[in-house]
Amino acid sequence: MRLKLNFRGPRLGTKLALMGLALLVVPWFSYLQLVEMERLLIQGQSQAQLLTAEGISTLFNGREDLFNDLPVTLEDFEALYAEPLENTIRLDGDAEDWGKASAQEYLAFGSGDWQDSDFRLLLGERSDYLYVHMHIKDEQLVYRDPDFLRLDNADHIRLNYIGAGGEDGRMSLVFGATNVLTGFAMDEQWRYAATGDADNRVQGVLRPLTVAGVGAADGGPSQEVALEFRIPLSLLGSRQYFGLTFVDVDDPLQRQVVRSTQTLPKEANQNFNLVVLRTPEVRNIVQGLGYSGAKILVIDSLQRVRAEVGATRKPTSEDESGLQFGMVTRQLTVAGDFIGSLSQQLLNTDPDPDNGQTEASVNQRERAVEVSLAGDPIALRNPVSTNEELILAAHPIVSADQVIGTVVVEQNIDDILRFQRTALEQVLLLTLLSLLAIFLALIAFAGRLAWRIRNLRQEASSAIDARGRLRRGGLLNEMNAGDEIGDLARSVSNMLEKLKQHNGFLENMPRTLRHEINNPLNTLSTSLQNLAEEHPGIDSSKYLESAKRGVHRIGSIVQNLADAANLEEALEAEELEEIDLNELLASYVANCGASHNKVSFEYSGSNNPAIVLVSDFRIEQMLDKLVDNAVDFHRSDTPIRVHLECFGDIVQIAVANRGPALPEAKLLSIFDSMVSHRGPDNRLHFGLGLHVVRIIAEHHGGTAMAVNLEDRSGVALLIRLPLVNPILGGSPIRAESRGNAG
Amino acid sequence: MAKHIVIVEDDPDQRANYADAITNKGYQVSAYGNRDEALAAFEDELPDLAILDIILGDEVDAGFQLCRELLARSPSMPVIFLTERINEIDKISGLRLGAWDYLPKPISLDYLAERISSLLRINEARTSNLRNENASEKHIGDLALDQEALLVSWRGERIDLSGTEFRMLAKLVRAPGHAVSYETLMNATMQSLVTNNTINTHMRNIRKKFEAVDGEFSCIKSEYGFGYRWTKQ
Repeated sequence: MRLKLNFRGPRLGTKLALMGLALLVVPWFSYLQLVEMERLLIQGQSQAQLLTAEGISTLFNGREDLFNDLPVTLEDFEALYAEPLENTIRLDGDAEDWGKASAQEYLAFGSGDWQDSDFRLLLGERSDYLYVHMHIKDEQLVYRDPDFLRLDNADHIRLNYIGAGGEDGRMSLVFGATNVLTGFAMDEQWRYAATGDADNRVQGVLRPLTVAGVGAADGGPSQEVALEFRIPLSLLGSRQYFGLTFVDVDDPLQRQVVRSTQTLPKEANQNFNLVVLRTPEVRNIVQGLGYSGAKILVIDSLQRVRAEVGATRKPTSEDESGLQFGMVTRQLTVAGDFIGSLSQQLLNTDPDPDNGQTEASVNQRERAVEVSLAGDPIALRNPVSTNEELILAAHPIVSADQVIGTVVVEQNIDDILRFQRTALEQVLLLTLLSLLAIFLALIAFAGRLAWRIRNLRQEASSAIDARGRLRRGGLLNEMNAGDEIGDLARSVSNMLEKLKQHNGFLENMPRTLRHEINNPLNTLSTSLQNLAEEHPGIDSSKYLESAKRGVHRIGSIVQNLADAANLEEALEAEELEEIDLNELLASYVANCGASHNKVSFEYSGSNNPAIVLVSDFRIEQMLDKLVDNAVDFHRSDTPIRVHLECFGDIVQIAVANRGPALPEAKLLSIFDSMVSHRGPDNRLHFGLGLHVVRIIAEHHGGTAMAVNLEDRSGVALLIRLPLVNPILGGSPIRAESRGNAG
Repeated sequence: MAKHIVIVEDDPDQRANYADAITNKGYQVSAYGNRDEALAAFEDELPDLAILDIILGDEVDAGFQLCRELLARSPSMPVIFLTERINEIDKISGLRLGAWDYLPKPISLDYLAERISSLLRINEARTSNLRNENASEKHIGDLALDQEALLVSWRGERIDLSGTEFRMLAKLVRAPGHAVSYETLMNATMQSLVTNNTINTHMRNIRKKFEAVDGEFSCIKSEYGFGYRWTKQ
């Protein structure tokens, strides 16, 4: 309750700390700026790529011939698409290293329901080689017997093609017992090798696949075989037609050709399939244009990739980028990622990273190709994964107002993203550090400010004592400070100084007043006397009498005021002597009866002398005031009790009278100057009497206080003075009970 | 021949009042408003008694200077300070200068007249004392009081008391052993506005003067709440 009442608002430090929180918008703004900067960079990059694409496309403008080496339509041919391969292929029969290409559907040949000698085919192209991956269903794998010269009496692959010189080419790939494929150029009957030597331009392996259950159970050769081999593209010549036949031999003894499955078109109007590859001429042109981190694709109007150069750069590993920023940054990366993802979610700049990404990337490229084939250049952002993003720029190739193809330039914007991330980290780090520094500075500043203000407050409040008297006429702290606190200190000091002057004026007022009043008063008084002298008849006039009384009264008022004002000064001049207070009080109370004959006094003192170091007639003056007060307020026919008691090192004088009790607030203020509780009709009292009591008590190192008697039947004024010879073993007793006893 | 009394007081009303009252008592009175006028008059003739205000116009201690001047010319001249400056320090410096009495305003003109006649009588007595042996002397124990010449001695040692102090002491020793009330003592001061404090201050001064002569002096006892008492040593 009390706390609640005392709370007037946050302290200075709290306020500053709260305002310091506003600094948190700084990293937010930095982030927004970064996002904007990234956008600009990407835009610039897109523009650059588009220009590149445009530049490249101009190379092909009007070069229809480069695109026309392929049939415009594929009606006559079964096209065997060779996918570009991104990785280096290891010839091991395993298609794992084929990358994305392996995920694509194999082309199936044969009966269609995966019976004996059916096969599936996957073609790929990389660095001037055509890679072939075959998956063959074969109930009985028959290897070539080196004893036979004929090559058609074992399982083998026949390859028809049109060579570089336009001649028909025939080649058999036979399976050696060591699971190695060997190619031989064949005669027209496919029986014998045309030359004795194997054609080592063709390399490949086969790998029998163990199919669960069957092959393992009878221990025989496996039922499926994976083949992987490569043919140099130069072998196929510029037209790149070829056909592929699997010749199945199942009986290792009879070695008769049981079945053959081929890739030849069903209509059989052509001997060959068409391998659709990039156009070498186009690629040659583009080759030199490739630059680091960019991939250039030339695509014809049928959306076939005709040339591909370069590769989008792999994202640099985290470690490399992290190293340059050291430990702190690396740890902050986590926070940076968190904030990054958070803000991405907030800004909604990124599509959901996990859902159908490859699909999206393919779609984006298709979209870009479609748009550019329609004649419009386009640049797109294409997010590949969370850390990787591409920019696709596509520009159409025009010939005679016809779009004959498009150039797609893909570039990884990993650099930009990494820059963004690094910058974000740096901003975060700097912000945190500067926030910390600013916070510390703010707290230090607030602390110092609060300390200074507190000092100032303490000094200012100590300049005036509990009684409201000015103790000094200025401040010492902060007087030379140049800031507002200094101003405050100076103005408070100035105020105190003026207050002191004013106080001095007020303190001197009674003396000045007496001085100034005494002269005219004297004139008045002497004039009255001379008047009486001059006219002996009016001596008895009641007007003269009242005039004299008035003069006397003014004189005593001024005198009293001056005495009270001079009291403290006068007390300083007093000489103190050791006096038995017990004896003094006893004698005083005894004499009181004589001066106040209608009031009875009772004195109860202690048995031992109470020696105090005082000025005796000041104590007498004090007692006069106490007794006057008690007499004024006592109920008639009740005695005024004066009680003296020693405990410990103090002696207590209690002057108690029966009469009206005082309210609490009066009890505290009754000893203050000019406070009277007599009411308005008592004009001769200025509340100076009890003020004099307090001044005298305090001058002698004591205290004065007022208490109501416990039953509120009266008031006791208590004066405590220090004893010269403390009585051991005594203990202070509650003032209330003492008052009651008195 | 009427005694010549000089009054120096800057306030014309008060000056006239004093002058009238004193003239009525049968004295020859000269009244001056400032120090220069008074000094010029002193060149011609010295008065028998001087009543001085301390503050004259802008000069805050012109009265003291005049007093010094007068006493330098005539050391036995009775000087009465009559002033509104009733601070202890002024009183002490005035009396130290050799003034016979120090009366605070407002004063009673009757008292003033009585004071003048008494001081003149004392002065006469003192000068004639040299021939006339201690006619009016009164002895109370070790104390000797000459009512006429306002002279006090303790165990043969002369003690200088002011007029007021002498009068108070005289009241105190009239009935040795009996307590004398503040009221009685106040009357003895022959001043119009007297508080217990004034009495106490006077009594302390008297006690001090005795103690200066005799460290063992303890005849003046406080009767707290009533007054004072003279006891035998």
